[in-house]
Amino acid sequence: MNNPRRKLVVDDLRIGHWSRRSGSFALACDGLTFDVAENEFVAIVGPSGCGKTTFLTALAGLTPVESGRLELNGEQITGPAPDRSLVFQQASLFPWRTVVANIEFGLKAQRRLDAKGKARVAELVELVGLAGKEESYPRELSGGMSQRVNLARALATDPDLLLLDEPFSALDAQTRELMQEELTRVWQADGAGTGKTAVFVTHDVPEAVFLADRVIVFSRGPAHLVEVVEVDLPRPRGAGVKRSPRFQEISDHILSLVMSQNQPGRRTEDHDSNAALSR
Amino acid sequence: MTATQLSPGSVRKTAAGATAPGRRRALDRYLNPALGVLGVAVVLAAWQICASTGVVDPKFSSSPSGAFRALVDSFTSGDVWSPLGSTLSIVAWGMLISIVAAIPLGLLIGRNRVLYALTDPLISIMYSVPYVVFLPMLIFWFGIGADARVVIVVWSAMFPLLINVIAGARNLEQSHLQVSRVFCASRLTTLRSVAFPATLPYILAGVRQAVGRALIGAIVAELFMGSAGLGYVVQLKTSNFQTDDAMAAIAVIAIIAVLLNHGVAYLEQRLTFWSRTD
Ligand SMILES: Nc1ncnc2c1ncn2[C@@H]1O[C@H](COP(=O)(O)OP(=O)(O)OP(=O)(O)O)[C@@H](O)[C@H]1O
Ligand SMILES: [Mg+2]
Repeated sequence: MNNPRRKLVVDDLRIGHWSRRSGSFALACDGLTFDVAENEFVAIVGPSGCGKTTFLTALAGLTPVESGRLELNGEQITGPAPDRSLVFQQASLFPWRTVVANIEFGLKAQRRLDAKGKARVAELVELVGLAGKEESYPRELSGGMSQRVNLARALATDPDLLLLDEPFSALDAQTRELMQEELTRVWQADGAGTGKTAVFVTHDVPEAVFLADRVIVFSRGPAHLVEVVEVDLPRPRGAGVKRSPRFQEISDHILSLVMSQNQPGRRTEDHDSNAALSR
Repeated sequence: MTATQLSPGSVRKTAAGATAPGRRRALDRYLNPALGVLGVAVVLAAWQICASTGVVDPKFSSSPSGAFRALVDSFTSGDVWSPLGSTLSIVAWGMLISIVAAIPLGLLIGRNRVLYALTDPLISIMYSVPYVVFLPMLIFWFGIGADARVVIVVWSAMFPLLINVIAGARNLEQSHLQVSRVFCASRLTTLRSVAFPATLPYILAGVRQAVGRALIGAIVAELFMGSAGLGYVVQLKTSNFQTDDAMAAIAVIAIIAVLLNHGVAYLEQRLTFWSRTD
């Protein structure tokens, strides 16, 4: 099946971590199957520790795939590549680099920091609202500003696929709302009107619904697919969307799915047996 | 941190309290150095009194005034420059070689598990053994020329620096390395743009230790070899009972040590300001 909508194909995917100390293998994602279309914004929600970060690092090429297909533009992902960038869950800015130098890092590493690259960085500084902070160092930034730099750094290389791992989870509620609106704005503005393909991991269900075209719900670890929920809210979305009945309806549905994952008694499927497979 | 004292209803007190941290800082700034100078002055004065009243024999113990006179003389006559230059150039060359060798070597060892396992015991031993015990052997191998003294300085300075660089390279933030990988940075770029700056605080801490040991190494070598440098002057003058001149040379060495320390501290402040947590 060669559907042009299938930018990213995840098919019966299994990922896990090898423990260096004990030599055992712990499964983090088990039999995930779904597609992501071109220019689609997909959010992933699921209980803590279920394997969301692991899945995202596999997409980034940092964690090897155990088995199954994980294809971007028809090619299996085997390692990092310039067509993907990742916004990290923790603070990961280089403290010895200024804001601009941090944003430039990806371009510099890929030897693409020419006049065009510089112009793009300057543009991004404006876009994420960091004008005037160009020469600041990370320790002089607030949490919200740091995550803006993080986002701009990921966007600077103009990736085909943007990966975001709970980028706003450490922020206070107001800053988070602001950043969500800003992300939709940046996302819509940066891709020449179309928007990039993005995979966004979060704990926050309303955040997922607000940002995404589809929300993918993961089960308790090792993660398998619980449900894919279409978010049929019109774009562009403003803050007002969050008060609409449809938004509430979708959020409540997803929330109940996530909650059922958090309570073992209410789970529909059982995945107790394969928490740790030894080889 | 200073706790600001708030007394109820007293605006004036509160305002005074708000300036207290500033005043405390000014105190630290001026009072502490002043106290330090006072401490030195007390010791020198006691020494001078003992020498003047004949409690100790100034022929053996020298005296602050005699040493100071000898120090001024050595500068006006120009006698100080040759040994001073000799010692400084030996220390400078030794440090330069140590730094140029230890930084890439340390980064390499710190980032490579096999190399680390191979070299760690050796480097730890070399670091722990008092390095002056190698002096006779080094003289035996390299003679007593300037080259031999540089070798000894490198021998003294290299290992603390190397150990620090390795520790820094091994303690890299995992997330920084992941960023480097995600953006497809080459191994060389990762080493130069991530590992090196992240290790810089360790490197400078290592340089500070190394400078101290380099100076000791140089002076001990000069004492031992009796060929040139400030250490040789101290040795020569003492054996000639010219204790004032010996003390003057020691004072010059002390000044060098203090200046070198401050120089490295200044560098640390300039280059690793981003890693301070204040
Ligand atoms: N480097 C690693 N080595 C071994 N096991 C790991 C490693 N990283 C994560 N794991 C394990 O894999 C599982 C999934 O972790 P992951 O970080 O993907 O969860 P998550 O869904 O991102 O959680 P959270 O929402 O809390 O960020 C967990 O059981 C975790 O203990
Ligand atoms: Mg996570």
